[in-house]
Amino acid sequence: MALSRDAYRALEDIVGPGYISEDPAVMDSYAYQWLAETVRPNQSKFMPRPEAALLPGSTKEVQAIVRTCNKYKIKVKPYSTGWYFYGAPLTEGVIQLDMRRMDRILEIDEKNMFAVIEPYAIAGVLQAEVMKRGLNCTVTGAGASCSTLVGATCYHGSGGTSIYTGELRENLLGAEWVMPNGEILRTGSIGSGCGWFCAEGPGPSMRGIVRGALGARGGLGVYTKCAVKLSPWPGPVEFPVEGTAPAYRSPLPGNFRAYTLAFKDWDSLFEAYYRLYDNEIGYYAHRQWTMLGADLGPAFWMLYQDPTKSLDDIEEFVQKQEVKEFTEEMRRSFQLVLVGMSQRDIEYQDKVLERILEETGGWKVKKWLEPEMEQFALLYLLRLGKKNLNFVYTGGWVGNFMQVGTPDFVKKYRPLAEDATREYQEKGLLVDCGSDSMMGCVGSISGGGNCGLEQFGFYDVADKVSTAAAVEWMKHCIQEEAMHNIPPGKEGMYLAVGKTHEELQQDLAKQPATHTWQRKIKQALDPNDLGDRMYPTLDER
Amino acid sequence: MALEDYRDDCTNCSRCSYCKWIPFDHIKSARFARACPSMEYCNFQAYSLGGRLSVGLSLLEGRIGYNDELKDIVWKCQMGGACDVSDKICRYNIEGLEVMREMRFKLVEDGQTLPQHKPYIDNLHKEENMMMEPGVNRGKWADGLDVKNLAEEKAAVVFHAGCRYSYAEGLQKTARMAVMMLRDAGVDIGIMGENESCCGGRVYQWGYRKELNGCARKNTRVWADAGVKTVVTPCAECYYTFKRLYPEIGFTFEVIHVVEYINRLIKEGKIKLTRSVPLTVTYHDPCHLGRLGEPYVPWQGTREKIYGQIPVWKPSKPRYNGAWGVYDAPRNVLKSIPGLALVEMERIREYAWCCGAGGGVLEAYPDFAAWTAAERLAEAKATGAEAIVSACPWCERNFADTVKSQDEKIEVYDIIDLVQMAL
Repeated sequence: MALSRDAYRALEDIVGPGYISEDPAVMDSYAYQWLAETVRPNQSKFMPRPEAALLPGSTKEVQAIVRTCNKYKIKVKPYSTGWYFYGAPLTEGVIQLDMRRMDRILEIDEKNMFAVIEPYAIAGVLQAEVMKRGLNCTVTGAGASCSTLVGATCYHGSGGTSIYTGELRENLLGAEWVMPNGEILRTGSIGSGCGWFCAEGPGPSMRGIVRGALGARGGLGVYTKCAVKLSPWPGPVEFPVEGTAPAYRSPLPGNFRAYTLAFKDWDSLFEAYYRLYDNEIGYYAHRQWTMLGADLGPAFWMLYQDPTKSLDDIEEFVQKQEVKEFTEEMRRSFQLVLVGMSQRDIEYQDKVLERILEETGGWKVKKWLEPEMEQFALLYLLRLGKKNLNFVYTGGWVGNFMQVGTPDFVKKYRPLAEDATREYQEKGLLVDCGSDSMMGCVGSISGGGNCGLEQFGFYDVADKVSTAAAVEWMKHCIQEEAMHNIPPGKEGMYLAVGKTHEELQQDLAKQPATHTWQRKIKQALDPNDLGDRMYPTLDER
Repeated sequence: MALEDYRDDCTNCSRCSYCKWIPFDHIKSARFARACPSMEYCNFQAYSLGGRLSVGLSLLEGRIGYNDELKDIVWKCQMGGACDVSDKICRYNIEGLEVMREMRFKLVEDGQTLPQHKPYIDNLHKEENMMMEPGVNRGKWADGLDVKNLAEEKAAVVFHAGCRYSYAEGLQKTARMAVMMLRDAGVDIGIMGENESCCGGRVYQWGYRKELNGCARKNTRVWADAGVKTVVTPCAECYYTFKRLYPEIGFTFEVIHVVEYINRLIKEGKIKLTRSVPLTVTYHDPCHLGRLGEPYVPWQGTREKIYGQIPVWKPSKPRYNGAWGVYDAPRNVLKSIPGLALVEMERIREYAWCCGAGGGVLEAYPDFAAWTAAERLAEAKATGAEAIVSACPWCERNFADTVKSQDEKIEVYDIIDLVQMAL
């Protein structure tokens, strides 16, 4: 269903001929998405092809596009960096807004510690700019390549520094929103002309409404600006970077420490989570290295330090005695970065950490204390510029469970996640990297020390059997969760993309109040149904 | 190889956009964080490495056919490989640059060529150079030089000037200085004169695979006849072609860029830099000397799966990710020049921004080539440098032309010129 020529010309008049295309090859580059293969017929890598792609350069252009879409009843899907199949059209008949031309950092208010940004200002760039002012931002867990605005407005946006810098959803201080009806709403204090300092006003808050249950993910209008809270950065104005590609590392000053903390059992590890939060130490706290599997991950991190080696050499590393010991030493572990605002502060934090380790029986993994390993960890964890290593094994992964809550809650589902995974690994359908391939936040400010574990399963995206197994594994995890009264994790969100309308309605009916209210909001703000099911609504009965 | 052989590489792209940026660990500012000229100039996703992988898959699956837009996507790219470096920070099992090259080969083999390239290809076939010049004039740059002509004599080292240095009037003197500098330092060196041919590297990157073989056969035959063991060139593109591409098709000689040789001779005390050159300069890493200038490693292997689903190569496949390019030699040379101050740009070494002249862009899309160069000049000026220095004539000419056309205020030097000034 091509756009009518009238509609195309109207859209072209808005952005100019250089910023609109409907060429099939260009459209397929927008349709191609990670995870498409888990929901599309024949495991296609392509989501539905957009009718056209547009690159707006201003809020005014976005508003004009949305108004034109209302006039011609064309569905519209915006994305910023476009990572994840959520950002693509979910059906035919959709135009894609690629927001990459709106990439500016409009303001950095050093005194009041916030930045005003456009959709394509990615976390790595924002961080680089605010570091020059002694500030830092929350780099969303998906890494430096991702849009900070999207993490703050359309998702929940937590990251490794959330124990100190907060989650992006909390750090949202107001947004400029082109609503699906074409009106512009400025939320929070900016909405009453008072500046960008507060998301709750004076001015319309709308924070919960625009995000909905899980974040609208491009399904309800277009965010064109937002302000995010920043945090102190007592480090250099830029990362000093050493090392040979790809194992870059950063020798940071003496008020920085990176540790991998390990424990004899899970109870002790989760107890340490509580104590870290209660004692208010830590700048970054996250389970990161284990995302590649407790059995195989340590070998990978060792080989990654050697620029002459590649994944092809991992079996050789697994056999090394040093790696075997390293693997066992860090089997139940997480990462902690301490950053002192002063020398006294770092000394204090170190002492508190020593006490926590004493009381929980934990230890610092020795290999990660070596200077070059620590420098690698500091750069990796604080910039999060290598997060795409998620994909290094096979090109495909899904993250299951990931229910956020207190350490006691997370502790309960951890063994379920391992049990639900083991069989798929042992049969060779997923990468057999250890049934604990769990990653997640430690002690986020949100919720008073929230944490979570996301169980990674790696499937070969070019292998149809493995891809099918990943889908089965996700379904299996949902069943296991249901049996233990745990709601589905991210796997539920992934699979929802491929569900029929009726199947989705059955799921949404389990939370009728939320999804009924979302329907009412959508009816009010999106009368021509320009958005998609990423803002899910329960049908009127 | 064929595009079909890279189907898994296309399928494996995670659409993460790392290819659009310099390695995130190195980002210092919003202004100079981008890696890919093609993406920045053209904006649509299809013009990124990730986008081109998806277009490759779409072609393989028969979802799209040939049209002018597809040709634009395939050729509006310098093939400088910054995307490949960033991609391989995490995904070193995807050969993105190879996929892009295979797409060009496929289009050329299917007759889907760019008309802008045709005169150059015709001239190469007829006159054996990329400069639209008569082949008989190739050796004129060296007229009057007291250096061995290896058509008649023998030497251990051949100085291969390359098309640009041989024909471009402003650059011929640089080639003359380079060969004399090496001769005066005691190197047993000679030139091929009229018998030198284009290396074939540029057209190979445009998608003309067969032409490389012809050029390689001719060049290596005359080198062998002259008893040559080592090939020295001042051109980064020739260097890449001899170092990486010739051994891949079976022709192996020791290959050294002039700047490496000069660095060695300075260290050995055979070249002494004594005169002060009071300049603040910044060094531009040519793509083909830097990230693409890694030595070829012979390899053959097969794919198998380990740990259930990890596809790996047995034996291990060599990884080309820019780690072993030539970066330190030119910097060492510059630091050896008395009075000269070297300041660095934000994007350097394996993540340097391209000059804009490669991949057939200069010939087919001159505005894009100039825009890319202007971006680099802006970065150079941001350092406070008075001059930008490089070790490739294609970079230098594109910079110099852009300085002139856009009335920029920065000098452009070949590193050889600066060494000569310091002698």
